[in-house]
Amino acid sequence: MSAATPRTGAGSTAGTRGSSRYGTITHRSSTGLLLVLPALAFIVVFVMVPFVFAIGISFTNWPLVGAFRFIGLENFAAIPGDTAFWKAVGYTLLYTAIVTGPILLVGYLMAVVVRANRRGSTVLRTLFFLPYVIGLSTLSFLLVLEAQPGSGAVNLLLQGLGITDGQTAWFTSGPLATALISLLVVWGVSGLTMVLLLAGMQAVPREVHESAEVDGATWWQRERSITLPMLRRPIAMSLILSVIGSFLAFSQFFILTQGGPGTDTTPVVLAIYNRAFVQLQVGSATALSLVLVLVVALVTAAQFWLLREKD
Amino acid sequence: MATTTPAPTRSAGTDPDGRPTTATAAGHAEPRTKLLLYGLAGVLTVLVFAAPLLWALLRAFQTNDVITAAPSASTFLDLTAANFAAVGGTAGLGRATLNSLLVAGATAVLTAVVATMAGYGFGRFRFRFSGLAFGAVVLTLMIPFQAIITPLFMQLNAMRLTDSLLGLVLFYTTVNLPFGVFVMRNSFAGVPAELEEAAFVDGAGTGRTFFSVLRPLVTPGIATTALYAFLASWTEFLGALTFLTQQQLYTLPVALLNLQQGAYGAVDYGLLAAGALIAMVPCVVLYVALQRYYVAGLASGSLKG
Repeated sequence: MSAATPRTGAGSTAGTRGSSRYGTITHRSSTGLLLVLPALAFIVVFVMVPFVFAIGISFTNWPLVGAFRFIGLENFAAIPGDTAFWKAVGYTLLYTAIVTGPILLVGYLMAVVVRANRRGSTVLRTLFFLPYVIGLSTLSFLLVLEAQPGSGAVNLLLQGLGITDGQTAWFTSGPLATALISLLVVWGVSGLTMVLLLAGMQAVPREVHESAEVDGATWWQRERSITLPMLRRPIAMSLILSVIGSFLAFSQFFILTQGGPGTDTTPVVLAIYNRAFVQLQVGSATALSLVLVLVVALVTAAQFWLLREKD
Repeated sequence: MATTTPAPTRSAGTDPDGRPTTATAAGHAEPRTKLLLYGLAGVLTVLVFAAPLLWALLRAFQTNDVITAAPSASTFLDLTAANFAAVGGTAGLGRATLNSLLVAGATAVLTAVVATMAGYGFGRFRFRFSGLAFGAVVLTLMIPFQAIITPLFMQLNAMRLTDSLLGLVLFYTTVNLPFGVFVMRNSFAGVPAELEEAAFVDGAGTGRTFFSVLRPLVTPGIATTALYAFLASWTEFLGALTFLTQQQLYTLPVALLNLQQGAYGAVDYGLLAAGALIAMVPCVVLYVALQRYYVAGLASGSLKG
């Protein structure tokens, strides 16, 4: 991110438009402020105010409709004993642990396959990235069809390979649902990791690889000593992006399992959604939201810190 | 970023099985095993990545009965456009498609306009509190909307912006703004200052300078911003689900959810497949056509959370 070096409007004595025409000052500070004002208005109204609002709500017992009263820190005090929330936290961590490694590995392999500009590598790159562009909600609707016992492609494929009888009802079992959703997610989002890593890989001059090859370095030696050190930042970034994405997972679970059976596949965002809009305990849900904001902010801050370090 | 100069015939480091490729083997021609492996990887890829999407295309032209039965050779390829004829029916997929188009289109335009202005301001001007203001944008990246969906709902409700497509557009614009501002700030920062100075000397004001001199130079950034905003709002699920309750306002993902959950009686999986295809098509077309801008965005707005 190259820092802008604007011709400064510092000491902008040019008061009027007419006089600035003759001045050397091309950027009046008031114009700059006016330009960023609409963006700031959006952020203040739809991020800052709701955030402050949230802190207030978290001290109340607000039902979605009706009267409320302030209950101090009760919502927060209830969090340690909130078994539904902690179950969702545990599930989110499990899901994150399952998908993070494979997303990095598959994305890395994809990048290795497409990084040489061979015939077809552009097509492959496009194909690898398409599922990510289509998005998890649409992909989830497609999986609804293909996970059907007896008729869906997933079951037909497993039956054809002789692994199952093709009658698996994936979403009636927590572990099976988790396995299938994880597979969908790894398939769907690894393309993003590929693109992020590809940029780092292409920063390595080809000559470096070639001379190492001439010197007899094996593929893995070259990969480990030349490519991987260059990928420290892209790997850190793609890891953090995928971890945050997993922490905030919602659509695929809401569409495919509604968090069930029971609450066995309920991630944190879905648990908060249910608390607010099904159980109508907005105060409690908001307190949980703030905990989630804090966690994600810490991960993001870690991202900035990790990425800044080397500059 | 992802476009490089054409590779020399002997490109390095692509032996995907990790076997040693000795100097002699890689000396002059591409080793045959390497090519074979590359070809194999290509075929596998097509199977794993293209086949599911082609399969989805096929599904959209099958009837509910064919989709939900074990495939039989006699009926499996009985393709029909009946699902698409039913899109305008009770499930309201036609209406939902229009709503999604409207919302995504308006979001793309509004995000591009607001982000371009802010990018110009942050990239080119120095003013009091500019650091603080930019800090606010960065902070927004750290507060994902998924985490504050409840207070956001209260806020939009208080502003009478729930059950409103306008409300959804404003919400999506906010979600896409930080990324857009980053992209546009970088675009403007890359423009040589001499260009603006020359325009000023010639008597152009800020607006005239922007439209006549800078706009052509930052068009790629604007395209990137608009493209991301469109794609992100076209299939956005959680916000649409939370903020919309009236069926005639549903966007495509919410209408598909209702359809899938049997809100209209027995689930018509043919219609669901057709709806999912409708949701896929703009993404695929826009991405393939505008890939250059998409990849540029990933490189330039790499802070996206």
